[in-house]
Amino acid sequence: MRPDFYVLTWNDLVVSLFFIAFSFFLIKKWKLGLEQTLLIGTLRSFVQLTLMGYVLTWFFDQQHWAFMLSLLFIMILIASYEGTRRQKNDIPHFFPAMFVALLASAILILGTILLFILDVKPWYSPYAAIPIGGMIIGNGLNSASLTANRFVGEMRHRENEIETLLALGATPKIAVYDAMNTSIHAALIPNINAMMTVGLVQLPGVMTGQILAGIDPIIAVRYQIMIMYMWFTTATMANIILLAIVYRQFFTKKMQLKRELLREQA
Amino acid sequence: MQNEPIFQFNKVSFEASGTKILKSVSFEVQKGEFLAILGASGAGKSSLLRHFNSLNSPTEGQINFRGKDIDFDLQCLRKNVGILFQNPVVFTGSVKENLLVAGRWDNKIAQTLDHELVQALEQVEMGSIQLTHKAKDLSGGEQQRLALARTLLNSPQVLLLDEPTSNLDPKLSQSIMDLVNKLSKSLELTVIVVSHDHLLMRRYAQRVIVLSKGEIVGNGSFKELDKAMIFEKAGLVGDEVHDEA
Repeated sequence: MRPDFYVLTWNDLVVSLFFIAFSFFLIKKWKLGLEQTLLIGTLRSFVQLTLMGYVLTWFFDQQHWAFMLSLLFIMILIASYEGTRRQKNDIPHFFPAMFVALLASAILILGTILLFILDVKPWYSPYAAIPIGGMIIGNGLNSASLTANRFVGEMRHRENEIETLLALGATPKIAVYDAMNTSIHAALIPNINAMMTVGLVQLPGVMTGQILAGIDPIIAVRYQIMIMYMWFTTATMANIILLAIVYRQFFTKKMQLKRELLREQA
Repeated sequence: MQNEPIFQFNKVSFEASGTKILKSVSFEVQKGEFLAILGASGAGKSSLLRHFNSLNSPTEGQINFRGKDIDFDLQCLRKNVGILFQNPVVFTGSVKENLLVAGRWDNKIAQTLDHELVQALEQVEMGSIQLTHKAKDLSGGEQQRLALARTLLNSPQVLLLDEPTSNLDPKLSQSIMDLVNKLSKSLELTVIVVSHDHLLMRRYAQRVIVLSKGEIVGNGSFKELDKAMIFEKAGLVGDEVHDEA
């Protein structure tokens, strides 16, 4: 018999502190020196997520398209800032490039899901737009950050190749094609692997959550399939848009490689 | 040698990361000339060479190619002014794939037939190498020749060489320079070589420009510059110059 709902009470959550106590015991026993970090992490995750729960409850009560668009805009701004912060290299105009890549992905993919796949009414319903928008932006951010870091590494590694191609008459776009290709390829592999092994090795979080919340597994699976496709498309789109903007920053208008940008930064 | 300047450098200065590398450099290069640019390490030779195909641009001053601003048509310039770097770049793949690299954007090169590629290899004295041979497996000298063949497929008018023999032993260095010299005559190329090896350059170059700390301290024939003791002043040589000269 399938239960309708597993409600997790605050008391249940207190019981889950057993996991932390057990980890604490192991850390102490093995003298890993992580006791304080674990306690801070435990407290922070509790406080941050509880606050987020209240904030989300308030967000879900807001039913206005302007509110939803503003919220998504702010989420993209924060993600772009985070993506810029994660860069090990100083790439000129990286923040706007990341913003454009995430914004374009969010508009196309979130728009398609809300309007044509889930047929959400009204389209700006926060129950759909916030979690799906969050997944799109988060996945785009992770993948694009990975791609940009790899791209600079590839450019550094291929500096002589790129200059040779430029010297033979190639445009910057052609000269960096291999570097772009390798970077995007590397960043998409985790998404492809996830599509390959999903259901065989692990049950994804969204699906697990829905099943625990009492949703029919068949429906939960359909959601998960849509999310996998969405993730892959988001990653591909965000990566391509980002690099299409970023690679230009490495060249002058005279099709010269700005070699100083490829020097290792301390 | 005809008296038609193919390059005109007019008060060219170049600065990178706050350091003045070239200081108001002016000279001309004639069509068909074999020019050597000599200088001690850090004199600005390679930076100067990169200006000839606009891989670097002057911070101040003007460069003309065939009477027009050098940046008038960059892709055309780079097709016409080939460069061979100090460390030749060999791409992953076969000799054929390496030769046809420019075919990615140039249809004419993409359509080059195999027998034409073999001819290109013969031109650089690599006729015995198969087109299917892995390029990365070639020796240093062969990789340098392959890079030269790839550059020549663009049918350039000018060939720039950046310390082309610095990683090769003296015998190989001479054979590469003999080859360049032969090609410069058969293909009527203008050749500009950056080198620290003044003894080697004496065999080939008609004229030499000597750079010191970003400035031209000598411009003329080896004989003229020897007379003015320019090589000594530029810290380039010891007694061996006089022996050789």
